[in-house]
Amino acid sequence: MEISWIQAILFGLFACLASMPGLGGTTFGNYTLGRPLVGGLIVGIILGDIRTGIIVGAAIQVVYIALVTPGGTVSADVRAITYIGIPLSIAAIKGLGIDAGSAQAAQIATALGAAVGTLGTVLFYGTATINLAWQHIGWKAVEKGDFHKLYLVDMGLPWISHIICSFIPALIITKMGASMVDTMKVALPMNGIAMKTLFTVGSLLPAVGVAILLKQVVLKVTDFITFFFGFTLAAAMGVNLIGAAIIGGFFAIINYKIKMLQLNKTAAAGNNNDEEDI
Amino acid sequence: MAEKKISKKALSKSFRNWFYGNLTCFSQEHMQTFGYLCAMLPIVEELYDTKEEQKDAMETYTAFFNTEPQIGTIVVGMTAGLEEAKANGENIDGEMINGIRAGLMGPLAGIGDSLIVGTLIPILLGIGLGLSTGGSPLGAIFYIIVWNLLMVFGMRWVYYKGYDLGGKAVEMIVGDKANAIRESVIMLGTIVIGAVAATWINITTSFQMFNSKGGVILKLQNTLNGVYPKLLSALFVVFAWWLMSKKKISPTIVMLIFLVIAFVGVLIGFFNPGLSY
Repeated sequence: MEISWIQAILFGLFACLASMPGLGGTTFGNYTLGRPLVGGLIVGIILGDIRTGIIVGAAIQVVYIALVTPGGTVSADVRAITYIGIPLSIAAIKGLGIDAGSAQAAQIATALGAAVGTLGTVLFYGTATINLAWQHIGWKAVEKGDFHKLYLVDMGLPWISHIICSFIPALIITKMGASMVDTMKVALPMNGIAMKTLFTVGSLLPAVGVAILLKQVVLKVTDFITFFFGFTLAAAMGVNLIGAAIIGGFFAIINYKIKMLQLNKTAAAGNNNDEEDI
Repeated sequence: MAEKKISKKALSKSFRNWFYGNLTCFSQEHMQTFGYLCAMLPIVEELYDTKEEQKDAMETYTAFFNTEPQIGTIVVGMTAGLEEAKANGENIDGEMINGIRAGLMGPLAGIGDSLIVGTLIPILLGIGLGLSTGGSPLGAIFYIIVWNLLMVFGMRWVYYKGYDLGGKAVEMIVGDKANAIRESVIMLGTIVIGAVAATWINITTSFQMFNSKGGVILKLQNTLNGVYPKLLSALFVVFAWWLMSKKKISPTIVMLIFLVIAFVGVLIGFFNPGLSY
């Protein structure tokens, strides 16, 4: 599959908007355009195959369902995952002749997305480092009382960082990467160990993504019960995700009511004590 | 002297600057500091007439700032209110404002990361993934619309709550009632994630045992299905969780460990993705 220059330029542009720290802003850039599910739609539209785009984006999304960046430490870069990883995965799926609806398509997308995302962290640190130069300009402006320059520093100059660290890498890699699929096809036969490992790791990686999230919410082993309640709903009882959200919402409301009852009770007890004191 | 009041226009400009620019000029040294400066500029310019006073006020916000930027909007709103009080001669100084900012950014980062990034986004994405099964764009569109509406209105709301209530606004986020809500929402999130895991993780084994005539006597995957559906997927999730939270191994290293497991598993015939051209 060929990726045209115009398509590659669009990927570069979206990479600038979608990064963390991205020029689309945190909410609309990083947390909307940077999510692989949304990126799958956008890349799908750009490449003219929305169905494959969404399938690939959704598969990669599971690995990065809770990509938290506490204190600016980043283990994967969203712009690379979404606007380099997804186009390359689509190119690989088409180049290798894999059916987009098959488990294999999801596996290769996951493996490629995770590899690109991990290597892509270099882009994150690159952007943050170049931004130091703009911040330096900003401090000088503050010293001089030239406050309006702050807008240029905060919202204008970072475009330069992104042209270097988002636009150019996404442009070059997606443009060149698509044709590398053919080389890969010859060098690594599908029944060889390398490709089997690649696809297998693609099936294992979503477990890491879910575990990253559980790390935050499962503090003691009994918290796993809540997780396995949801797991069982889908795995053993065949409830779909929307159904699971509704059932989960029902239990959340019950939990909230119980908590509030407890609070009111202690509050009421507190009031009684006050009266006794009088 | 008439009491100074920040105009609606300046407030909404301040909010917009924060909403868009909170992380645009991120560096490891000053993460959201410049976003904060841009958010305070319209307010400072309106409250103080002379360049000297403006410079003095802006100086306060040159201190390092970083939190979860969406829930952290409340701090920006609060400081707008405090700056207004300060301009009216109340007993508030820059040091006090910075004390409040520094005291809030840590706890709010923790709450925002677990509640917004770790719970709300996964719930919305989980539903989105459900709607997108088979390649439908519906799930992505659902996420784009619902997430952005929630954030635009939600962040606006906490900004103005922060501005109106000042210090009392924090009670909304860390009070008992807020804790009860948070705990319940996290419960919902954990259930949805359980369903996402069962739906989207598909780890199966190709391991088989043969008798002397070459007939299959054990197909491990069938046995496992009989014990608990998707057992292997569940085990790998718990294993990855254990590596990360009990062994303190970073996600990247866990991925590499899984790569090794995949390689060894393929070699011994435990895993076989069943590929062909």
